[in-house]
Amino acid sequence: MDITSLFAQFLSGLTYGTILFLVAAGLSLIFGVMNILNFAHAALWLMGAYFSYTFWSWMQGYSFAFWLSIPLAGLAAAAVGWVMEVVLIKRIYKRELYEQLLITYCIALILSDTIKLTWGVTNKLIVRPEIIQKPVFIFGAPLDSYFLFVIASGAAVAIGLWWFLKYTRYGHIVKAAVYSREMVGALGIPIPRIDTWVFTLGIFLAGFAGGIQAPIGSITLGMDTAIIIQAFCVVVIGGFGSLLGTLVGSLIVGEVMSFTILFWPEGAMVLIFVITAAILIVRPWGLFGTPMRT
Amino acid sequence: MDLRKTAAFFVTVITCLFFFGMTGAKAAEPYNLGVALGLTGTGALYSADQVEAVKLAVEEINAKGGFLGKHKIELFIRDTQTKPDVGVREVKDLILRDKIKAVINDYSSAVALAVKPIAQEYKVLHIAAISNSENITKINPSPYTFQVVPNTYMQGKASAVAVAKMAKQKGWKEYITIASDYEWGRSTQAEVVKVLKEMVPNLSLKKEFWPRLGEAQFTSYITGIMAMKPDFVFGVLASNDNVAWMEQAKTYGFFDKIAYPGSLISVTELILQAKTLPRNIIALTRAPFFAHLDNPMMADFVKNYRAKYNKFPSDWAVLGYDAVYALKQGVEKANSIDTEKVKDSMKGLTVNLTRGKLAFRTIDNQLSCSSYVGTITDDPKYPFPIYKDIVEVKGSESERPESEILEARKAEKK
Repeated sequence: MDITSLFAQFLSGLTYGTILFLVAAGLSLIFGVMNILNFAHAALWLMGAYFSYTFWSWMQGYSFAFWLSIPLAGLAAAAVGWVMEVVLIKRIYKRELYEQLLITYCIALILSDTIKLTWGVTNKLIVRPEIIQKPVFIFGAPLDSYFLFVIASGAAVAIGLWWFLKYTRYGHIVKAAVYSREMVGALGIPIPRIDTWVFTLGIFLAGFAGGIQAPIGSITLGMDTAIIIQAFCVVVIGGFGSLLGTLVGSLIVGEVMSFTILFWPEGAMVLIFVITAAILIVRPWGLFGTPMRT
Repeated sequence: MDLRKTAAFFVTVITCLFFFGMTGAKAAEPYNLGVALGLTGTGALYSADQVEAVKLAVEEINAKGGFLGKHKIELFIRDTQTKPDVGVREVKDLILRDKIKAVINDYSSAVALAVKPIAQEYKVLHIAAISNSENITKINPSPYTFQVVPNTYMQGKASAVAVAKMAKQKGWKEYITIASDYEWGRSTQAEVVKVLKEMVPNLSLKKEFWPRLGEAQFTSYITGIMAMKPDFVFGVLASNDNVAWMEQAKTYGFFDKIAYPGSLISVTELILQAKTLPRNIIALTRAPFFAHLDNPMMADFVKNYRAKYNKFPSDWAVLGYDAVYALKQGVEKANSIDTEKVKDSMKGLTVNLTRGKLAFRTIDNQLSCSSYVGTITDDPKYPFPIYKDIVEVKGSESERPESEILEARKAEKK
């Protein structure tokens, strides 16, 4: 196995990791701040992919259609997320975890059927612009040229979130809320409103990630069930609520998948679950998380 | 004429007419036909087409009074979600509640295999028209289960025969397989490997990849396979998985570097990926309408299907249509809608279908139908590419020998 091939495999892992990061970032953010394990996250991700398809078909003919439809998908999903939070999620913050899981799981089922009713059962294909139909070569290793954009978007989201949490007032409030909601509330900051916006931001990320995923293959029903499991693995490995953890966790899952496919294809998925299980036993709060607040 | 006599005459005539009308108007028992397909999940794409074609066939037959001109067909359509447990539940419900006499099922071979014993238990005809695992008819055969689609062995053999010819021609030495990790993927891959070994003994299988059913991200497989530099890759990926794989592999320039014959590219993919499908790759399919347009039944079907649905029929539509017409001819031969009689009459029956005159094999109720291998090429007649230089590998050329089937059954019993 030559070094170029290994590098190509590394790039594949990186792109897969980036896709997972984009999905898991919102999931982790919502859990970290609001303590809600949102099972419907991937359904909103899938909805984002379908939104992206719709916007793309509306604007077809314009050169910017392809690119603009991705952030628009994020906004459309965010709108759905906002309604969801205000109408439903708001009422279940104080409930037991299993009740929250049941409710968000129900929402996932409802959203899946809504997607089926809205967009039908045939899968959707977004045709890429000419310039990203050919591979690029990085040190001789081929890479789907669209993935340059995917990796850049992943990096932009990571940096953007980091900057938001570190340097903005709202970021500080959100971070403080991760540690003690009561304290933040006591300071006169309206926690419910913060919750709404954090949830909406998390769902924006899901929709945006869905928009990014859309042109990679075809958009099909049921895609969400596979990715939600892997996104959970990512946040378990990295630690719920930790941005850095989510990033590292995604890259670990992406690269482990990629290289086990090369050397031990039968065990690719198994290995991820073994790692996840090991982390759960040894360090239940993940690599970069903090032990769960009570 | 005496007034009373006249009145009596009219009364008699009217009474006669009345009773005549009664018997005429009283429709014979309807024929309840179930369709249980994976309308959601991975099979949604193919199953939706099949349902449309089944509806068309039923409308045509009902327009002529139904089966035998008097038994109107009533359709009961259910979603198996491409899951065996749901499939069993839905089919049972169709049998018990809707009293169906036959069921067209399924997209997934795993579901069809689960439904087979149920159909047998309740004595209901079971016609597989998309799912095509050989095991549906090979082992534990049910006299109630019929398959109108070329099975995995036939398809594998057909494409393997074509690939073997190419390998010999081009001096290929090493290859890799990538197949969906479930019943159909596993059994097809196994058959292909076996046939290639027999026909080209010096060809070696370098690696096997088994992405799970429903995989959406193939990037790592693509770069991994490209790193191994095989002479060719044999793919056994279905439906949406195949769409994702083709799209992603293409953007890596995969098909420019590595020969990729034998993938299942049905008319659905030809239409859906018209703009993006790589041209000149060699592919395989089960029932492309354009291979049989010289058959009037196919020509009419394509015309009517287009008129009704405003699109060209996919393989799955052709197969669904054929399934209903095979059943119709079974009923006609039995001259009854009694399931026991129809089941017996269909055994070994030669039927006229859109794909020509084809016979069910007596040993396993598998329709002896063709597989089609060809080169993906643009055609000005269609808004999508079609197969050029089609090699129609007949059922008789690609079926598993009966002796092997008997052996497999014996082995299964032990």
